[in-house]
Amino acid sequence: MENLAGLDHLLKITIRFWPVWVAMAIVMIPSFSTRRNTGLYGQIFESRIGVIGFSLVSFWVFTAIFADVIMTHDPYATWGGLKNALPGSALRAPAEGIYPHALLGGDNLARDVFSRVVEGSRIVLTISPIATLFAFMVGITLGLPAGYFGGRMDTALTFISNLIIAFPVILLFYLLVTPEIRSGGPAFSFGGDHVWRASVPNLLAALIFIFPTIFFCTLWQSRFYVRPKLRNILIAVTLVIGIWGYLGTAFDYDPTGLLLIEPGLKNIFAIVAIVGAPAKFRIVRGLTLDIKTRDYVAAAQTRGERPWYIMLWEILPNARGPLIVDFCLRIGYTAILLGALGFFGLGLTPESADWGSTINEARRLLALYSHPALYPALALMTLVLGLNLLGDSLREASQKD
Amino acid sequence: MTNTPPVLEIDKLSISFLTRLRQIDAVMDFSVTVNPGEAVGLVGESGCGKSTVALGVMRDLGGNGKIIGGSIKFKGREMADMNDDELRQVRGRDIAMIYQEPMASLNPAMTIGAQLMEVPQYHEQISAAEARARALEVVRDVKLPDPERVLNAYPHQLSGGQQQRIVIAMALMAKPSLLILDEPTTALDVTVEAAVIKLVKELGQKYGTSMLFISHNLGLVMETCDRICVMYSGEAVERGPIKDVFENMHHPYTQALFRAIPVPGADKNVQPLIAIPGNFPLPHQRPNGCNFGPRCNYFEAGTCDANPIEMATLPDNPRHQTRCNRFADIDWNAPVEAKVAPAVAVSDKVTLRVEGLRKYYDVAANALFGGRSTKVVKANETLSFDAHAGETLAIVGESGCGKSTLAKVLMGLETATEGNVSLNGKALANVPIQDRDATTVGGVQMVFQNPFDTLNPSMTVGRQIMRALEIFGIGDNEVARRERMFELLDLVKLPRAFSDRSPRQLSGGQKQRVGIARAFAGNAKLVVADEPVSALDVSVQAAVTELLMDIQRKNKTTLLFISHDLSIVRYLSDRILVMYLGHVVEMGTTEQVFQPPYHPYTEALLAAAPIADTRVDKREVVLEGDIPSAMNPPSGCPFQTRCKWKPKVEGALCEREVPPIQILADGHQIKCHLDADTLNDMAPVFSIAAE
Repeated sequence: MENLAGLDHLLKITIRFWPVWVAMAIVMIPSFSTRRNTGLYGQIFESRIGVIGFSLVSFWVFTAIFADVIMTHDPYATWGGLKNALPGSALRAPAEGIYPHALLGGDNLARDVFSRVVEGSRIVLTISPIATLFAFMVGITLGLPAGYFGGRMDTALTFISNLIIAFPVILLFYLLVTPEIRSGGPAFSFGGDHVWRASVPNLLAALIFIFPTIFFCTLWQSRFYVRPKLRNILIAVTLVIGIWGYLGTAFDYDPTGLLLIEPGLKNIFAIVAIVGAPAKFRIVRGLTLDIKTRDYVAAAQTRGERPWYIMLWEILPNARGPLIVDFCLRIGYTAILLGALGFFGLGLTPESADWGSTINEARRLLALYSHPALYPALALMTLVLGLNLLGDSLREASQKD
Repeated sequence: MTNTPPVLEIDKLSISFLTRLRQIDAVMDFSVTVNPGEAVGLVGESGCGKSTVALGVMRDLGGNGKIIGGSIKFKGREMADMNDDELRQVRGRDIAMIYQEPMASLNPAMTIGAQLMEVPQYHEQISAAEARARALEVVRDVKLPDPERVLNAYPHQLSGGQQQRIVIAMALMAKPSLLILDEPTTALDVTVEAAVIKLVKELGQKYGTSMLFISHNLGLVMETCDRICVMYSGEAVERGPIKDVFENMHHPYTQALFRAIPVPGADKNVQPLIAIPGNFPLPHQRPNGCNFGPRCNYFEAGTCDANPIEMATLPDNPRHQTRCNRFADIDWNAPVEAKVAPAVAVSDKVTLRVEGLRKYYDVAANALFGGRSTKVVKANETLSFDAHAGETLAIVGESGCGKSTLAKVLMGLETATEGNVSLNGKALANVPIQDRDATTVGGVQMVFQNPFDTLNPSMTVGRQIMRALEIFGIGDNEVARRERMFELLDLVKLPRAFSDRSPRQLSGGQKQRVGIARAFAGNAKLVVADEPVSALDVSVQAAVTELLMDIQRKNKTTLLFISHDLSIVRYLSDRILVMYLGHVVEMGTTEQVFQPPYHPYTEALLAAAPIADTRVDKREVVLEGDIPSAMNPPSGCPFQTRCKWKPKVEGALCEREVPPIQILADGHQIKCHLDADTLNDMAPVFSIAAE
């Protein structure tokens, strides 16, 4: 097999992404033609910035969805002749049915860079939104009462959030990497050969992962306490899923084994939530202070609604605009943070294909072979750029009317 | 006067806004002339394009506004030919504008003096000392106390009325030839409004400034202007001298507008309210021909909906024009078909009893470190009154008088410091809302002031009403509640299909109807309506008011109607309670309160209400100064700082003692030191001229 000449590899890559192009066309063309009737979503397509942002984001989202079709090789396997191979290099003696070229070359361990970038998109686009969501859950659950009740509670919560903001993030990272801290603390066992250590990252995870369950139970209870039958069903379902997920994620105790996560991931969630929650807390608190003066909140109070109903059903839905915008921007920061955490060895396992870890690993040979680091870096850059542009255009659109 | 060119001459002006959906014609074929020293009123409901005209004159239409036809001549010069530099010179120096919100027009980071001095320093390049001298003079002209102190103050240190005076002073600094006032007093209290209007009138005469006065309030325009131009949906529909238009109107819209507003000189049997049917058309949904056609009583197919209507001059009055094809055929003096409302059956049963209610707030000077210097705000001071089933009790007063606090105590959002409140014998004063049972909560409900704020924008209309039903424990299941929700929509005369709409798809009046439906969802015994129609346009105000009264009659609900608008209060209430700084200064039946003897404050309040009727003669009583802060009330009588009658009481009693309650007639009480003879000698504020 010959190496691909000139820009042939780019052409092949473009072809390789065909499911993405088809999916983007299916989504964007109707969205664009009905943009006048779809409210805030349609406004994205009114500005060039919005279209660019939406295209970049949807490109990566569809890449993550169709990763199995797009990938040319197993991203974790090594292939003959690919060690530090340049983009477009041919595989040495590929077996039958194996794609003959490494479209973006190979890395130091002779793995296919193209497949790793595609696989990385799946990891990044799963972890960043979920981790960001946890930060939002914590921020919302604490920001709403702080803004709504005010007084001592507000003072205390604001003080704590200021403390966290003032705490050096890098120091926090180092603390979490330190082996004594990672594996310290008393050990607990809930049966079988299961052991859980009350170390700092584990405790943090235990604290953070409880929030979604609390959030949804409060959500149902506050609205449907007047309809007990429906309320009981909703809360029962929430509790089953919530406790199952909580035991699995926070305590590594899941008999089915479905919801176990690796320790690195736990660190990531803990850090993203701790770093992100104070900022969300402030935004939500500010919005609450504004919205609670509206007449519909007064109307809810005068018909005897409980405080949590007012916070979750009257105030929160009307604060969604700024929160959605911030969510877009925050996913971008989280994607970058994943990379930064990789540098501290705090991220996922070393062989993980996520973009941050890949860049970190490739930097050692950066002067000689730049492509194993360059392409994940480009991918990260375009995703973050796309999210920023999308967030900006959403903000502009939501302020327009 | 014929030799000097008009100050402003607008001829066939058309202004459009280009949005992403369509081109919106905001103003079409609009002409008006303002002569030197003349005040012209521009009247219309919100969205009729009156503010757009003002912005068009200033050439400040923003990115997507465009003048697409016609001309604006300022002192004979075509403004379209001016370049940016010339326009900058004209704005501020020759044309000054006064906006609705005084706080938004002033820079909060600069002292008043610096802001005033900026104007002539920029436009006339005069020295700082000279500019300061002129600033001092102008501040004196707008009758602010202690001008030196005012110049060194920041905007937030002044009250709303004082800020608006400063904005007027700033406009006058450059000695403009034309002053555009865009709803200059809408944000102010009535008595303050009356004083500002009087000032504007005097200054106009003193400086010889021409004025373009934009307002939705016909009464205000009548008091200030020489000529009037009525706008409807982007067009001028009637134009002429005030007296001619008010007494001899020749456009159906003008007529409908006058019939929709209550006049405090006449009660409901003399002049019943007639709502204008239908809604204001959106700019892109205007009908063919006459814009007012679909809502007009005199509509005639073929004549009114064929071609665009041209402005026509009345044959007997060359200065009076109207945009109506049928003005010659209509009998303008035909009597109004009086739809006499069934008398509200007020029963003897007391629904609400308030006895010696007090509400004090503790305000610490500094929440964190204070403690010693706690201040007490006396929001309500010994209120006592009864309200009967089916009765409408109006609570009248300006901001800070304690009417909202009273509402909060009734609703259970606050608990009383002292005294009792009972609803049908059940104590309420010290029961916060979370301790009230569902029937009680549903029995005391509220209609809010701002229709754009009263519904949760994220929930459909039906959901919001059903939520209220759920909370009040009405209906056993979803189906039953849904049925009840539809009935409530029927009750407020909204189509059932509205249940699936989100609030942003509704107009202001429709939203307010949903608000009323929600308030009556729990079979309310007592409904507190906090200025329910003051934010609505005149043409829908009447309809919403009638609806509220209809439902009240049907359900025998007690209505506590909080308002500052005396016209509407006179129209719908059975009894009136006048409040000032937490005190009830006067209470009595509507007739008793509107006739002498008055409490001095009631007298000023009545005189301050602008009346859009040339037949009503009004005595002028203008209060000086502002309402004192509730944090720092005056000693003795709360009203003594502004009272004109104070000299009639001997020994400065007003400054020392809170006056006793005098019972003058059955159920009529006044809190004043004046003796009964002086009170009885008061002249009435209104008199209707014999026709």
